[in-house]
Amino acid sequence: MSPDPNSSSAGGGTREEASTKVPSKDPKKKKDEKKEEDLSDEDIALKQQLELYVERAQDADPGVQKLALESMRQEIRTSTSSMTSVPKPLKFLRPHYGTLKAYYETMGDSDLKKLLADILSVLALTMSAEGERDSLKYRLLGSEGDIGSWGHEYVRNLAGEIAQEYGKRQSEEAPIDDLMELVQQIVAFHMKHNAEPEAVDLLMEVEDLDLLVEHVDSTNFKRTCLYLTSSARYLPGPDDILVLDIAYMIDLKFEEFTNALQIALFLDNMQYVKQIFTTCDDLLRKKQFCYMLARHGTAFELDDEMVADDDDREALQDIINNTKLSEGYLNLARDIEVMEAKSPEDIYKAHLLDGRASAGASVDSARQNLAATFVNAFVNAGFCQDKLMTVPSESSSGGSSGNWLFKNKEHGKTSAAASLGMILLWDVDAGLAQIDKYFHSNDNHVIAGALLGVGIVNCGIKNDCDPALALLADYIGKEDASIRIGAIMGLGLAYAGAQNEQIRSKLSPILGDAKAPLDVIAFTAISLGLIYVGSCNEEVAQAIIFALMDRSESELGEPLTRLLPLGLGLLYLGKQESVEATAEVSKTFNEKIRKYCDMTLLSCAYAGTGNVLKVQNLLGHCAQHLEKGETHQGPAVLGIAMVAMAEELGLDMAIRSLEHLLQYGEQNIRRAVPLALGLLCISNPKVNVMDTLSRLSHDTDSDVAMAAVMSLGLIGAGTNNARIAGMLRNLSSYYYKDASLLFSVRIAQGLVHLGKGLLTLNPYHSERFLLSPTALAGIITLLHACLDMKTIILGKYHYVLYFLVLAMQPRMLMTVDENLKPLPVPVRVGQAVDVVGQAGRPKTITGFQTHTTPVLLAAGDRAELATEKYIPLSPILEGFVILKENPEYREDQ
Amino acid sequence: MGQGASGGLNRQGGLPGDRKQDGGDKKDKKYEPAAPPARVGRKQRKQKGPEAAARLPTVTPLSKCKLRLLKLERIKDYLLMEEEFVSNQERLKPQEEKNEEDRSKVDDLRGSPMSVGNLEELIDENHAIVSSSVGPEYYVGILSFVDKDQLEPGCAILMHNKVLSVVGLLQDEVDPMVSVMKVEKAPLESYADIGGLDAQIQEIKEAVELPLTHPELYEDIGIKPPKGVILYGEPGTGKTLLAKAVANSTSATFLRVVGSELIQKYLGDGPKLVRELFRVADDLSPSIVFIDEIDAIGTKRYDAHSGGEREIQRTMLELLNQLDGFDSRGDVKVILATNRIESLDPALLRPGRIDRKIEFPLPDIKTRRRIFQIHTSRMTLADDVNLEEFVMTKDEFSGADIKAICTEAGLLALRERRMKVTHVDFKKAKEKVMFKKKEGVPEGLYM
Repeated sequence: MSPDPNSSSAGGGTREEASTKVPSKDPKKKKDEKKEEDLSDEDIALKQQLELYVERAQDADPGVQKLALESMRQEIRTSTSSMTSVPKPLKFLRPHYGTLKAYYETMGDSDLKKLLADILSVLALTMSAEGERDSLKYRLLGSEGDIGSWGHEYVRNLAGEIAQEYGKRQSEEAPIDDLMELVQQIVAFHMKHNAEPEAVDLLMEVEDLDLLVEHVDSTNFKRTCLYLTSSARYLPGPDDILVLDIAYMIDLKFEEFTNALQIALFLDNMQYVKQIFTTCDDLLRKKQFCYMLARHGTAFELDDEMVADDDDREALQDIINNTKLSEGYLNLARDIEVMEAKSPEDIYKAHLLDGRASAGASVDSARQNLAATFVNAFVNAGFCQDKLMTVPSESSSGGSSGNWLFKNKEHGKTSAAASLGMILLWDVDAGLAQIDKYFHSNDNHVIAGALLGVGIVNCGIKNDCDPALALLADYIGKEDASIRIGAIMGLGLAYAGAQNEQIRSKLSPILGDAKAPLDVIAFTAISLGLIYVGSCNEEVAQAIIFALMDRSESELGEPLTRLLPLGLGLLYLGKQESVEATAEVSKTFNEKIRKYCDMTLLSCAYAGTGNVLKVQNLLGHCAQHLEKGETHQGPAVLGIAMVAMAEELGLDMAIRSLEHLLQYGEQNIRRAVPLALGLLCISNPKVNVMDTLSRLSHDTDSDVAMAAVMSLGLIGAGTNNARIAGMLRNLSSYYYKDASLLFSVRIAQGLVHLGKGLLTLNPYHSERFLLSPTALAGIITLLHACLDMKTIILGKYHYVLYFLVLAMQPRMLMTVDENLKPLPVPVRVGQAVDVVGQAGRPKTITGFQTHTTPVLLAAGDRAELATEKYIPLSPILEGFVILKENPEYREDQ
Repeated sequence: MGQGASGGLNRQGGLPGDRKQDGGDKKDKKYEPAAPPARVGRKQRKQKGPEAAARLPTVTPLSKCKLRLLKLERIKDYLLMEEEFVSNQERLKPQEEKNEEDRSKVDDLRGSPMSVGNLEELIDENHAIVSSSVGPEYYVGILSFVDKDQLEPGCAILMHNKVLSVVGLLQDEVDPMVSVMKVEKAPLESYADIGGLDAQIQEIKEAVELPLTHPELYEDIGIKPPKGVILYGEPGTGKTLLAKAVANSTSATFLRVVGSELIQKYLGDGPKLVRELFRVADDLSPSIVFIDEIDAIGTKRYDAHSGGEREIQRTMLELLNQLDGFDSRGDVKVILATNRIESLDPALLRPGRIDRKIEFPLPDIKTRRRIFQIHTSRMTLADDVNLEEFVMTKDEFSGADIKAICTEAGLLALRERRMKVTHVDFKKAKEKVMFKKKEGVPEGLYM
């Protein structure tokens, strides 16, 4: 090895030469000597041959040169490399790399020079030192032949060097045209050879993802899009939007409209949604889109540009309005045979405990009855029948349903009346008819409950004649505070996400009304927040800000005041930077509420983004040890969960971080941690979280214990999880003398059996890709209320529990035929497997069982059709899926 | 919340005699079934180590791509935040002293000495029936600081010396038989000490080392990496040597067993040992299990007459199950070695259990030269030594024979107090070795 440091032009040339020489020269000498004896005959022959080629390549005669170079190239190309070692020709040519390099510099321009450059480029693969990018340099100088002919490893190396070079040129603002040409070739090569991730990676490095659209074809676009969408979660902004845009374009190009729609919804880009509706001309597919929109909970109006025919449009709008949800849900319930109504006692299963608990249960019978009301409402949600509220009147002596209603005291009656709304959830016609009787009651609490009930029944359903608004609007201005709250909250639930101007004009004045009591104002703020969730509506924000500023010092100390900043935060739910102006304004608030408001705004604005910097910020706030009286750390802890819940990794890591908070935090942090855990794993009972919560449910601090019990209910919500049910049963006997803890245990039990196990509270749907803003808003409203459980839920505002209705969705897969009638087909249901970046068509589920639709899907489950007879119109089998007959299907004989 | 407070007290004072009857609100004297409801059923085996909760989430895809990088970076970010938070907290509020205090309190509660016993049965969350090696069984309490998730019937526990309550448990329950199988010190032989066998080395690397170091390669292609290999061939062809080289070069846990070790005196001990072996391998994964002379237990099944033979066959059945049974083994690779592959049970060799069969042939001329070179490289040879003569000979040498020749030649030279080994020494040595190999029939006598 005696290459003269070539006279390469750049100043770096000599330096790099020195750096390569020092490490390589001495060891190589030794190795060479040793190798001499090690080599087998063929190897020696090959080595000599190559040495000869090197010799010849420097010959004066171009003919000889050409022959030598050609045969050298032949040797390199034909050598098969194993996975473990460097191919032999490359190994033997190593010592001559310097020589050839030096000779290359002296050559005159010719085809031969290009040929040599090619060879040097390949040799540089193993030779060039870190950061030199020789391979790329010679590639650019060489003949622009087929890039794949030198093998994958070469292409891969080249791609890496391009990324580095690109960064360098970018900073020097040098032209990059030659690089891009190469990138084109490499991308084409990768896309042809099942290496979509690598192609995408390279294009991301050189910031030119648009190229991708040209290169995808019908065989690989799915994998490419999957890779793009899953990368988007982890990319910093604005790259993530860009990546999703590209994925959207590819999906459109290949008419994979359902995927495109998902991306559009993720981006919250209604323009895109419209585009999809106008480009797609298949009515059946459009119906599927409508089901997806309905599940997401977006208010979306079709116009005649999207659907030309009036009748069709009406049918589609009906689907978006969720009018058939109740029917589908009841269908599911009948199929699974859980129509039979359940009483709270069926849930408590007190007979499984040793006798003591049930005997001494009468500590506070009003509280017990209230708990039973909620349990009854949660368990029978949407089934239109139960054993307390809707039993026919002849079964018991005189006015039965009134009977249970009047077992509750005062404000308890509000929740009891409203529970009827929950039981008749989504069934607007029957619901309004049944609730109607309470409107004529002369008890204000009952009327308030009826108003709230109307709101609950209409939750998530849109009706053209707006019955909720028509019924509730009159009561907003009533004297009695409880009636007003009932009406306001009812409107908030019924029109969450609707951004209805009419309601705003009715509600905003209340915020400015100096005479309105604090609780009315608080619920107004929340309702406005829900109706305008994630809309960044300036006017609503202004109204709430003024309301906050008008509060007196003492009012700011009230626990209910916390709902005001939350209402403000909901306006910016998931909207990231848009919150900044409002956040500035919040700095001028009274210091009692300032930080609380700050934290709430921050956590809401970045909810569901997975933004690590924000998590860090929030953690920083939790790290302080405060003097008494400050409450802002609670929302900060919840904020960590809200931000981190976006993706699985962040979720797992946030659970770890919360453990630390438990260990080091003060009481006010410890109280919020269980709630944050509950949010992270909502309707997804992870065993480790379950254990942590079970430990905390015995905490000495009763607030922590209550929060943990509630969270146990949340993580098990709608799963019928036997383990959580068992834990809660034990807790109910453990806390049988403590009325408030027992109340929370009962609520949690009701939640675990939510909708007899047919419902979920998870705001994420469509394989955890999309986040339903209204659902999340409902959950965080409840959680914020839980931060001060004693005064709100255990006080007279227990009906905040009904905010959960926003997140309730059947966790089902219902297959329907082209006429939207249920169609039972066999499906496989199993644990979802992450298949991003895997070659071929890997299994997407594992440990599956075959069922006939409709089926229930647990958290992390995925379904696939077990028959070829039908083709689903959506790749994601969740909720309602339309099936089309497969024209190519042949019945096996 | 009087109840809440008493509940907490209840929890801390899991010790039966320690509970105070405080306050008037305690009407019932019955012991409350307090304490956190813990897991039910068997101990979770899968959780490796005590830090199961602190384990990091797995990152998919396995192949190297930007998505993986981003995901790993995300985890790193969170870990950095944790670090920042914890170090901040430590600075503000050192936990060390508190921990120290707690620890000494726990030590006081435990008392000293502690007796070692056996957990017979878990009655409820806080009570168990225990037995010590002598004497009767006792119904005792379990102290609250004992990790109840780790308790299971049959495990070894520490008991208080007077009240016999459970104060701790002995974690390490690996069969000592298995722990000696672990290769602590890497053998000195490396790949460089193997003459020839290039193809074999490559195969074993692909089948055993690469799946442990670069699982993504297999994922890329979309295949499952092979689970194990069998090395077979004439005696002395380097099977064990290659296994040693593997052990030398890998950083994975290397467990080595000889087939005959798995044959035990008592019924059921053999299969149990195999189970233990693979369990340890799984716990310490990634790991390589090397079973030498597998024909000791792996011979074809036939109607056995004696209980001993049946036991051996049962041991093999357990091995079959461990190799490709119901539970999947993650990062455990198996290397078997034998010189009688034809007598092995076909079930043992089926693909899925042993995917690769690597033959070790007798060395050819080139390899023989290499082996001679390796063995003579440290010997002082006289100038007249012509190794080519032995290399080119028609006799069938194995690697071990060549080594024997070299050693023998050296011994001959020593006998004559020469400092150099001559050609004559080699010749004599070769004859001697060949003579022994042909079982006393002198070379060339009947040929």
